[in-house]
Amino acid sequence: MKSIVKGILQIAFFILVSFVMNVITDFFHLKIPGSILGIILIFILLKTKVIKLNWVETGANWLLAELLLFFIPSAVGIIQYKDLLYKNGIQVVIVVILSTGLVMTCAGLVAVQLAKRKERKKAL
Amino acid sequence: MIITLLFILLTLLIYYASKRLYRWSPKVYLTPLLVTPVVIVLLLLVTHVPFHSYNLGGKWLTAMLQPATIAFAVPLYKYFDVLKKHAIEILTSVFIGALMGMLSSALIAKWLHLDVSLMDSMIPRSITTPIAMNVSSLIGGIPTVTAIVVIMTGILGSIIGPLIIRLFHIDNDLARGVLFGTGAHGAGTSKAFELSSISGTISSVSMILAALFTLCLAPLLF
Repeated sequence: MKSIVKGILQIAFFILVSFVMNVITDFFHLKIPGSILGIILIFILLKTKVIKLNWVETGANWLLAELLLFFIPSAVGIIQYKDLLYKNGIQVVIVVILSTGLVMTCAGLVAVQLAKRKERKKAL
Repeated sequence: MIITLLFILLTLLIYYASKRLYRWSPKVYLTPLLVTPVVIVLLLLVTHVPFHSYNLGGKWLTAMLQPATIAFAVPLYKYFDVLKKHAIEILTSVFIGALMGMLSSALIAKWLHLDVSLMDSMIPRSITTPIAMNVSSLIGGIPTVTAIVVIMTGILGSIIGPLIIRLFHIDNDLARGVLFGTGAHGAGTSKAFELSSISGTISSVSMILAALFTLCLAPLLF
């Protein structure tokens, strides 16, 4: 019971931070979204020990574990664009599949090579 | 009010059911990110409920994406040493991936004769929605179209990622994280956390870096 209350309070804290960050980005017309500023802020607060890890950890774990849930309404929202999908749907899906495959292959294989090279250097 | 709650509950119910299905049979195409929206879309079509009614509840879940994104600060802090140790590998491979994402989206769209505004809308599709929409408007795309292509990338990326890992035998935690974060933003990152916390954390960093690289490069390139 105690941990449930703790988790809910911590999630409320993240919601508050997100709200404040959005107000700030709106006010200063920043190009960076509030959520990215929020990551930087919480990271700095943790690093400088202003907030302790166990004050936010449970809530963060819950939010991250259910991350996919928060994408679902946007995915359902695709049905609003029936016209676009009828007209160009197949082409759009082809672009997404091929290009995502290329991005993942490149990024993944470059990372593998760089990690291997570092290992070899260490071995010498 | 009742409709709002009803659609939130419906989404939760189908989401948890599809999560159980995925745990019972972890096939890539059974990812909750594909199964849940498909079931909900079918329900809406059968019952003739328009999307905007559904979204009275749905928008509250979408709003939670922001605090959830901020929560990435916690694993970032916990694994900061690992990230620092591999900074060069992460920066280089994410940079190449982000560049590849923009160029290949543009070239393949051109090859398939899609019109220019649709092509521009697809260029930032690998990165997190708010920045992608921003980039889209900077280079002449349509931000709402970008948002759809971004979510498609998330769904398809969660399916393609594991296939690429298998195809190229990528067994390195670092490379797996970079692959998901650069290729499929938050949705990919959630997949990377399924593999290991290190992969997930590297994926969250890669997601942020890819977004920043794209934001800086896209207006120069397109």
